[in-house]
Amino acid sequence: MRQAGTYSGLLSGGLSGRTGPHSLPLARIKKIMKKSGDDVKMISGEAPILFSKACELFIEELTQRSWMMTIQGKRRTLHKEDVASAVMATDILDFLVNLVSNSSHSMDNPVEVETIATSKS
Amino acid sequence: MPIANVIRIMRKILPSHAKISDDAKETIQECVSEYISFITSEANERCQREQRKTITAEDVLYAMSKLGFDDYIEPLTIYLHRYRELEGERGSVRGEPLVKTRNNNNNVDQFGAMAGVGTYAPAFHVSHHHHGFFGGSPMGAGYMNMRDASSNAGSSHAAALANVEAFAHHK
Repeated sequence: MRQAGTYSGLLSGGLSGRTGPHSLPLARIKKIMKKSGDDVKMISGEAPILFSKACELFIEELTQRSWMMTIQGKRRTLHKEDVASAVMATDILDFLVNLVSNSSHSMDNPVEVETIATSKS
Repeated sequence: MPIANVIRIMRKILPSHAKISDDAKETIQECVSEYISFITSEANERCQREQRKTITAEDVLYAMSKLGFDDYIEPLTIYLHRYRELEGERGSVRGEPLVKTRNNNNNVDQFGAMAGVGTYAPAFHVSHHHHGFFGGSPMGAGYMNMRDASSNAGSSHAAALANVEAFAHHK
């Protein structure tokens, strides 16, 4: 069956020497696609393959934008804050706003605020 | 997504002296999963509107374009064509025949012109972010034709074939 060969991941790797022998695992992509909605029924064999390449482009873009923030901060280590800044600065990354702001730095953590207030007095 | 794969792709972009914090790696890993869900939801909505049960590659491309990821469309379309070409060589293709060989020899010639495109390198110019990064390419126009035709209908064949031929001339 064609699916078996497709999902071994070897085909995607062989398509472009530039991406190297391993692209993102197709079975994992398919699982995430199915989880995206209760009403996701069937997924063509090509869709995860397309996503494998798309995710590569996405990671490259997000990394590039985040690194720009790192450089602006005159640092050499890319931190989560740089990813958050890149997301805030880019319209098409709006869908990630909640994801990158769910951190210990978020405002709705009253315990931290109280601790700081106490230590200052 | 497995974090090792994510890190490997990140390192391709970053200079060799760059370091990546663990929380940055995890964040980007989560962003990728969110990206897949985000695009898939939009693609699925379109399927339901058109009363189709299967999310196709075209649905995914449509969703990406609609959600602002136009810059990805051209490299992804190239990638998809090459994949379909390879599948055609391996045997019969079920499901989404892009070029269901009206003319077998022409297949090879058309995609032969694409061989040089294999070394495609998406360059992101972060300083400006345009839609239509690659200009008004005929591939973009061709793609829209595919979108209008239901990808499950045989009638899409003619539009799809025109799409491929238009692209081949613009190697």
